[in-house]
Amino acid sequence: MTECSGNVLIKEECENHEKCMKMIQAVLDGSASPEEIEHFKSNMEVCKPCFDGYELEKSIKNCLQTKVEKKCCPQNTVDQLKAKIGIGLVLLAGFIMKIKVIQVIFLS
Amino acid sequence: MQKRIQRMEFEEEEEFVVSKPKYSESEKYRIFDKEFMPHIDSMYNFAFRLTNDEDDANDLVQDTYMKAFRFINSFQEGTNAKAWLFRILKNSFINDYRKKSKEPSKVDYQEVETVYNSTEDAEFESTSDLRIEAVQDMIGDEVAMALNGLPVDFRTVIILCDIEGFTYEEMAKILDIPIGTVRSRLHRARNLLKEKLRSYAKSMGYKELR
Repeated sequence: MTECSGNVLIKEECENHEKCMKMIQAVLDGSASPEEIEHFKSNMEVCKPCFDGYELEKSIKNCLQTKVEKKCCPQNTVDQLKAKIGIGLVLLAGFIMKIKVIQVIFLS
Repeated sequence: MQKRIQRMEFEEEEEFVVSKPKYSESEKYRIFDKEFMPHIDSMYNFAFRLTNDEDDANDLVQDTYMKAFRFINSFQEGTNAKAWLFRILKNSFINDYRKKSKEPSKVDYQEVETVYNSTEDAEFESTSDLRIEAVQDMIGDEVAMALNGLPVDFRTVIILCDIEGFTYEEMAKILDIPIGTVRSRLHRARNLLKEKLRSYAKSMGYKELR
């Protein structure tokens, strides 16, 4: 099941499509090996299901990146967190002051 | 028992570091502000996508940051703070949140993956009918709903990869699974997501076949 486009035979069916799709996803995710990138480049031109799969995956990935709302942390949560961490700082400062006072009392 | 679980959790996190640093009190606060706080929006977004609840996301983020501060000596300054924090949040979610989860039941991803494997070819036949134009026309809420409809372990890999932009290597460390499993789980998660999107596309009136 092939058709000719110029001098290149285009495959209408892919016998390893699931395997190819994993590789295509790795390329889109920037986590493919150099060999996979090389195979991807050569395969894309001759395999219609892989090319279509690539375009669809790219479209979905782009949609997830740009259309899904990114929730920001409420300022209240940030403030509460800083207050909790800050308590440690206050206790530490108190502890240091206490030591200094003891030192002053015993050294004077 | 709880302390033992907590200790195990942070022993795992120490895999991130070569040698355990010892920070002074002032260094701890500086690292917390400079290295941890810039990621709080991403952390909240991740927590919200995991829990689907603003209050739970708040609790999860605060809990994660408190743990990060408490165990800051396990963090090597200059290494990947975001991945380190995401790993703590993921562990907190599994160990603490899921136990009291509002979700009806915990999803066993192994079980889902097994079931999915057995029907992978059949799934692909239907998901391959999803049209690019339909995806492009969808609004964010529809895509978010499809994402939220995935079992949490599949949802997690898509969030980490597509929304937060982690590499497979970083995801493997965050999730404590081999890179090969990251690839497989991501592939299955995406096929499931396509299936959800296809349902939405159908309801929008798009023809299924190209």
